[in-house]
Amino acid sequence: MLQNIASGLRSLLRKRQVERELDEELGVYLEMAIEEKMQQGMTRNDALRAVRLERGSLEVTKEAVRSAGWESFWEILWQDLRFATRMLRKYPAFTGVVTLTLALGIGANTAIFSVVNAVLLRPLPYANPGQLVFVREGKPEAGITGLGMSYPTFTELRDENRVFSAVAGLGGHALVLTGNGEPSEVSTVVVTSEFFSVLAAEPLLGRVFIPKDGQRGAAPVVVLSESLWRERFGGDPGIVGRSITLDMRPYTVIGVMSASFHTPFLNQTNQVWIPLAQDPLFSVWMTRPPHEHWMAVIARVRPGISSAQVQAELELIGARLAREFPAEKGWTIGIEPLQQTVTGEVKLPLLLLLAAVGLVLLIGCANVANLLLSRATSRSKEIAIRIALGAGRRRIARQLLTECAILGLLGGLIGTLVACWGLAALFPLLPSGLPKFHSIRVDRFVLLFALMLSLAASLLFGLVPVLSAAGSDPHQELGQGGRAGESAGPRRTRAFLAVGEIALTIVLLTGAGLLMRSFAQLTSVNPGFAPNHVVKAMVSLPQFQYSTPKQWSAFSEDLITRLQAQPGMQDSAIAGPLPIVDCCITLAFQIVGNPPLQAGVADTANYVPVSTRYFSVMGIPLLRGRLFNESDSSSSPAVVLISEALAKRYFPNQNPLGRHLTFGFPANGIVSREIVGIVGDIHDVSLGKEPGPMLYVPFAQAPLYGAEVVVKSMLSTSATAGAIRSVTQGIDKNLPVTDIAPLPDVLNASVVQPRFRTLLLGLFGAIALILAAVGIFGVISYSVSRRTHELGIRMVLGAQPVLVLSMILRETLVLTLTGIAVGVPCAVATARLITHLLFKVTPYDPVTLALVPFALLAVAALASYIPARRAMKVDPIVALRYE
Amino acid sequence: MADKPSELVQGTLDMLILKTLDLQPMHGYGISVRLEQMSQGVFRVNAGSLFVALQRLQRAGLIKSEWKATENSRRAKYYALTEQGGSRLNSETQEWDRQVAAISRILEAS
Repeated sequence: MLQNIASGLRSLLRKRQVERELDEELGVYLEMAIEEKMQQGMTRNDALRAVRLERGSLEVTKEAVRSAGWESFWEILWQDLRFATRMLRKYPAFTGVVTLTLALGIGANTAIFSVVNAVLLRPLPYANPGQLVFVREGKPEAGITGLGMSYPTFTELRDENRVFSAVAGLGGHALVLTGNGEPSEVSTVVVTSEFFSVLAAEPLLGRVFIPKDGQRGAAPVVVLSESLWRERFGGDPGIVGRSITLDMRPYTVIGVMSASFHTPFLNQTNQVWIPLAQDPLFSVWMTRPPHEHWMAVIARVRPGISSAQVQAELELIGARLAREFPAEKGWTIGIEPLQQTVTGEVKLPLLLLLAAVGLVLLIGCANVANLLLSRATSRSKEIAIRIALGAGRRRIARQLLTECAILGLLGGLIGTLVACWGLAALFPLLPSGLPKFHSIRVDRFVLLFALMLSLAASLLFGLVPVLSAAGSDPHQELGQGGRAGESAGPRRTRAFLAVGEIALTIVLLTGAGLLMRSFAQLTSVNPGFAPNHVVKAMVSLPQFQYSTPKQWSAFSEDLITRLQAQPGMQDSAIAGPLPIVDCCITLAFQIVGNPPLQAGVADTANYVPVSTRYFSVMGIPLLRGRLFNESDSSSSPAVVLISEALAKRYFPNQNPLGRHLTFGFPANGIVSREIVGIVGDIHDVSLGKEPGPMLYVPFAQAPLYGAEVVVKSMLSTSATAGAIRSVTQGIDKNLPVTDIAPLPDVLNASVVQPRFRTLLLGLFGAIALILAAVGIFGVISYSVSRRTHELGIRMVLGAQPVLVLSMILRETLVLTLTGIAVGVPCAVATARLITHLLFKVTPYDPVTLALVPFALLAVAALASYIPARRAMKVDPIVALRYE
Repeated sequence: MADKPSELVQGTLDMLILKTLDLQPMHGYGISVRLEQMSQGVFRVNAGSLFVALQRLQRAGLIKSEWKATENSRRAKYYALTEQGGSRLNSETQEWDRQVAAISRILEAS
């Protein structure tokens, strides 16, 4: 073994000497053989010929000895590389087109793969991420799945389970940070004290929460994120132990988390973490029934515990809870891997995009194969000569594959650059809600992917010319002088490639078309309100300063009155959660007079406290009854407006006006309210979801400590925003006004994910279409150039140019129709996989399925037009001269 | 059969070369002549196969080579068996005998 390597290296490094030795050895051999023959009486020349006949030529022997050792592999590789580089340099246009096609294909794949890698493949950035699970409470019979957990369930789970090493709950909202500059809202993660230990996260400075911090009555403490610490506190190393003001209340900083730590689900840069017991909002739910299912719960499974064991334990706990709280009957506890919870929603769209770029690369490879094939045909003479001179077919195949690998790797190299650049261009387009967004980058794994992809692509498109060269017959090639028509084999291969390209393009375009149609449907949905000229802003009152509902409603009245007094303001109002912007507060309600529902079953609707002019600002129509007015105050009878959907579902063929509903937001208590009117439906969750039942109550009767301000104004957005800010701070200079945005922008932002995937898929579809056009052009123009002679004869015999044109077009048509016939069924089958992503469009959408083949036919006709014109202009004399 | 040299049975050339060198160190031409003589003209080895085999055996450490003067005072590369080559020859010969005996039994059985 060692000797083998040493001797091989010697032949590589001291090539001359080894050659000389071999020469000498063989020379002696020849001399001896000749001498012997001459002793038998032959002349020297006869002896030489006889030896050569008997023992083989010395040159062949040398070649055989040289290529027998392992080192010859590298030698040949080096030769092939040099030869291939020379060939590629000789045809810069060919090399350029191929490299560009591959670079685009590989680049797009690498860019999308780096997103998939970061979001789907890379494990969550916590220690032993495989042990982390999301624990959710759901109510399958009511169709509620994957909701948050109530606090009593959480404590039961935390204290009584034997399967988790740690359990923690979290929820998010915003608190107002004052002091150290402008008042601002900071993203606040409200956690139970186990939070950081479940994720096994260590602080950058100070410490994280310990159980004592989570108890009621403990000193209020806070952990800061690194970015907040740097931006707001100048990275003060002595921050631990200092006090900061959140919602006008002091919290002692106990630690700083590094920027590399990310809160699951609630990933924001400027963030604080506070114990649940210290939260002005959620802490009320720590004891008080009814149980709000608000808390996201994560847990770490003990090593060696199977998910079946966990499930069994959770069922046990669920049964115990059902006995303890009969009202909670029907709720069940389940788990899923945290990774799945975090990436669940984006998995399908991302895989769809990856598949789409994969198709683009495949189409690109078909194109390159086609180009290589035309070149292989014009190089067939070179190859025939080499075969005739004694090159083995394997040797030639190897040479051709080396050329392809160089093309592939060159494409891959530029493709990686394209990917880096494309990723930078993609970043601002990426939906910001994309989980693990921050970890998207081109890393070693992605580079490896690009390399493998380049090699796989080279092999794929390289196989075609290699197979065609393997079938080449030097006799025929050289005998024919490489002139007349090409044999049927390569032509069939080329047609097959073009058909495949067309079919793949149909699949891709159909997908893109369906998403575009679906997106058009989504954006043409009437939201039920008129967003134009409406600007929204968030104003929240520090809980500890404005602690009573009376203060909240007084503040809101003051704010609205002052806003109305501003010049240029048409209308302004205050509302709880705005539709689509903040989604919803869902409450259970009872219809007074109806028999009580079974325990554990509830009718629910989305609840919004609004000030009187809300419906006029938002353009929501009144259908029956009356809207709210100034006389609906905290001292007047409790009233409610319902949406049409609620009226239709719960009061079919009845007059709901005058009936009473009982419900209430926890802070205000459950009261019975009279229905005074019915208003139009709105899409409150998202444009893609049907309007649900809504309950509107007067803000004065159910004030919130923070709410959205909506202002309708013909002024510019910035002027309106400025007015809102100055009015608010005119009342209290410590109040932050945040999230100011024109309502139309907010609606646009709500469809950013579908827009993103539609845009990308549309882009890929367009690239595919261009590649397919190039492919068809290649096949047809090649066929025309090969048939120049035949066309010349036909014309001499009297064929009109129109006939020639129709011949060419027929060829294109057959090609394209075959592609369509193959592609459409594939497209339909593929489209069914993305049904989930479609909105009001079926995978069998007739418009898309008709338009896409038509578009391809048009493109094919266009692509064959240039070669067809050339064919019509064939001059019979020129065409026949060279025969 | 005897008048026309035939191809060697696949894979036996290495063994035959080892056997030839077992008697004494020899140069390339000597090996091929000896092979022909010993087989009484049945086998003729062409130069390509011979030198490839010699290179292979040398790299496997079964033979070693040395430039020496011939009886006609020419310089030639002489090959000789190594210790490893000797034991390989033994094991291959035994294996060959076993196989030939088996094949003969099969052929004679019918």
